[in-house]
Amino acid sequence: MLEQKEHKFDILGRDYDIKNIGKVTGEEKYSCDINIPGQLHAVILRSPYAHAEIKEVDYTEAEKMGAICIGPQDVPDVIYNERIVSIPAKTYRDRTVFPKDKVRHVGEAIAACAAETEGKAFEALKKIKVIWGEKWEPLVTLDDAMSPDAPAIYDNVFLGEERVKISNNLACDRNIDVGDIEEGFKEADIIADETFDVQRVYHMQLETKSAVCQPEADGGITLWTTTQGIHNVRILLGQIFSIPLSRINVKRITLGGSFGSSIQMNSVTPICVALALKARKPVKLVTTREEDMYDHSSYPLKTRLKVGVKKDGTLTAAHCQVWLEIGGHNIQAYPYLGCVAGWFASLYRWKNLRYEGKAYYSNKGPACARRGYGSPQVNFPVENMIDILAEKLGMDPIEFRRKNYVGKGEEFWGQGPTVRSLIRSCGVEEMLDRGAELIEWDKKSELKNKNGKIKRGIGVARGFHTSGTGGPKAGEVIDYSGATVKINEDGSVDVITALMDHGGGTWEAGAKVAAEVLKVPFEKVSIDNGVDTRTTVFDVNTHATRGVYCGCGAIKYVAEKVKEMLLNYAATLFEDRPENLVLALNEELGQGIIYPIDLPEKYKTIAEIADHARINSVGTFVYTSTLRQKNCPPCFITYFTEVEVNTETGEISVPRVVMMGDSGTIINPELWKGQILGAYALGIGLGKLEDIPYNKESGKLNCNGLITDFKVPITTDMPHTDNITVEHAHTYEPTGPFGAKGIGEAALSAVASSFGNAVYDAVGIRFHKLPITPEVMLKALQDKNRIGGKNKDAH
Amino acid sequence: MRKIPIKFTINGQQKEALVQSNELLINLLRDELYLTGTKYGCGIGECGACTVFVDDELVLACLTLAVTVDGKEITTIEGLAKGKELHPMQVSFLKNAAVQCGFCTPGMIMTAISLMKENPDPSEEEIREYMRGNICRCTGYTQIIKAIKEYAHNMKA
Ligand code: FES
Ligand code: FES
Repeated sequence: MLEQKEHKFDILGRDYDIKNIGKVTGEEKYSCDINIPGQLHAVILRSPYAHAEIKEVDYTEAEKMGAICIGPQDVPDVIYNERIVSIPAKTYRDRTVFPKDKVRHVGEAIAACAAETEGKAFEALKKIKVIWGEKWEPLVTLDDAMSPDAPAIYDNVFLGEERVKISNNLACDRNIDVGDIEEGFKEADIIADETFDVQRVYHMQLETKSAVCQPEADGGITLWTTTQGIHNVRILLGQIFSIPLSRINVKRITLGGSFGSSIQMNSVTPICVALALKARKPVKLVTTREEDMYDHSSYPLKTRLKVGVKKDGTLTAAHCQVWLEIGGHNIQAYPYLGCVAGWFASLYRWKNLRYEGKAYYSNKGPACARRGYGSPQVNFPVENMIDILAEKLGMDPIEFRRKNYVGKGEEFWGQGPTVRSLIRSCGVEEMLDRGAELIEWDKKSELKNKNGKIKRGIGVARGFHTSGTGGPKAGEVIDYSGATVKINEDGSVDVITALMDHGGGTWEAGAKVAAEVLKVPFEKVSIDNGVDTRTTVFDVNTHATRGVYCGCGAIKYVAEKVKEMLLNYAATLFEDRPENLVLALNEELGQGIIYPIDLPEKYKTIAEIADHARINSVGTFVYTSTLRQKNCPPCFITYFTEVEVNTETGEISVPRVVMMGDSGTIINPELWKGQILGAYALGIGLGKLEDIPYNKESGKLNCNGLITDFKVPITTDMPHTDNITVEHAHTYEPTGPFGAKGIGEAALSAVASSFGNAVYDAVGIRFHKLPITPEVMLKALQDKNRIGGKNKDAH
Repeated sequence: MRKIPIKFTINGQQKEALVQSNELLINLLRDELYLTGTKYGCGIGECGACTVFVDDELVLACLTLAVTVDGKEITTIEGLAKGKELHPMQVSFLKNAAVQCGFCTPGMIMTAISLMKENPDPSEEEIREYMRGNICRCTGYTQIIKAIKEYAHNMKA
């Protein structure tokens, strides 16, 4: 069962506490911490209307106060999509830096001012006159947006270079058929047909979006900004402002969390650039929490799922229909619909499937990627459905999953229908077994308190995410990473990469991979900031859980080339052949050493060899290249959640949880756990707390930009530390760097699903809509009592 | 607007500043003293990222007027380490992987230190209760709670 061979590592799999020091001393710099002497501070004028025509933006009076101002008339006409991860032919473009004709959501930026202080900039902002034309009622729900007589949010947009007409606010759609579902449903003994709603949530990364831009004398710019991909920001700014990329330098800088919200170039970035170019002075722009809440969120997903199954538990067909309400811009609904199809298709062997996805514009802040990219949203319907069918079949939910999951040797759709690869490592069985043992699944019924006010239950759910977006053939999504690895003259190593670290430990993993290849102590490898688009080669973006598998994959590939150079040169010193040399880590010396095989006492340190190369004017051992991974292995997870439902207050707590993850080789053990633990909190937020509704009349956020009204999980929402178990499967991914694959997004995929299944186990109510707040629970309990306490559904 | 002169001690150093009557401590720290370790997460007292000590009392710098620190002693995250030697709470956070993106970390550490002053041997429930106002979106709090527990344990030993 266990795939993990005996792999021994010198550095991988150890925890070091030397990274992150700047984050505990306050010295770490984020974009918002950058200050440039003489900088101006910028603020943004945002639309109070959800859908209104802009006739004119007049900032004459504001400029009289000494501010530098920009409005729609000042920004280029370039229509772009802020996310350029998909190939251009599959990228919808519908926006300019400021809208030229009308605003499409409350909080949309329409003008900006920069002045010596933020206070002065605000004073100036108040003087801007906006003349509004026609206004339309806000479309804030999916039903509003789909309604045949809804006002049109767009008439047309671009898909690649082609202009496409938008009808009925339908932004895009995707339909996929595999096999013959009609035949499949005919074979079925049992058919279930259910509808689920997973809500829109706000990322609530702790750092709000910001940018600092310094215009350079040569007409170029230097930029610090919140982003998951410095190269894509540079390319976009080049396109928008017609500046050669060699004159745009985007600095790589630490992110205060992202969870997908900076895959696209953040909306403040080009505004800050436009101001700096006009002012010819550095400009700093930091958004408030309220502004940030209008700027991005996850996609809410409505799903109708119909599944057929035979009496023996074999699945025969599935029909999955999904509807998205995407907000005022189409950042990535098309690839998202593809990915939702992929997650759905790769969870279980449906045999025959049909998928129909539709995305509608609405007058809300634009939705974008959020950790899991649709996986938690479609996992909830599927994992509920699996429990529903198991109950109908009289089968144990674990058994039913074991019988039907997609595993080793089968196909995984890592990024929608066009990016698929074969599964080569899979810990699903091990995780189901071990998780069941840890949570004591067989004693589950003993937990139940039949009469008291507290009801207990346990739920299981499994999920996954892709590791990167590479397939055997390049698909709709661009995927490659680059790195430079360089041995310094003292034997230490620099790793130079555009890979981002959102806090999950990607940089630490990259340094470890280079250290492992070159047998250099971890402490001697730097992957630190101070690099930028000018010094790094292209990296598509740190998204799609590709940091370790793709980004560190590239680092490994490049480090191996450097190792070859090093050994070739060492061979000349030893007067031997490179293949007769051994490269090893000598912990006592704190150095990597090289020696002729069987003659360890004759070693030379890497430092000696590198310095020898310097003194003899041989050169530096350095290599730069890019690598495209040709697979997208799934990292699987399986979670077991125990809940306690207080039937008097409607509150649900989580006293215990067991979380199993399959990432192949684990590079950063504690940070790996941290990914799972952090995701669990996000999932509990999704399950019972978070929601971000808009007011139907005003089109404004109901929470008014307040975090406490939006409701994120806090310390008291998580189980006691002793009651949280996190373990990993013993797998090895043959295509990954040293057997590793990802974890970040996988970790969130099944949290809310295991929570929902546990709630059903506790109270016998199947919740089809999230979040399950105390009010929702109380109402459902009352309804259930009214029908005599039988199991029921809550929509 | 007229500016008001104030004097205070910050991380052990005497400082003077001219501030406006409505100026917030967070802006004085971040924009004028360039102590950017104190973070802005919400500006209205909801996240805890801007937590600092004023005369040994925990305050949210985004809700505190700069003029009120006149004559007082402020400690920010930058003031915890003694030269190269980290404060043991900082060490405990690093050892327990309680730091991911790090944006909540300064506020978390300040609050945790304050808890230890008030209650050197807290139960896990007491830790969770005390840290309620500090939001972390990355860690799920578990490793943070562990770091604080370990710190308390080490202090007892
Ligand atoms: S910034 Fe002060 S509490 Fe959030
Ligand atoms: S570590 Fe990122 S918010 Fe706490």
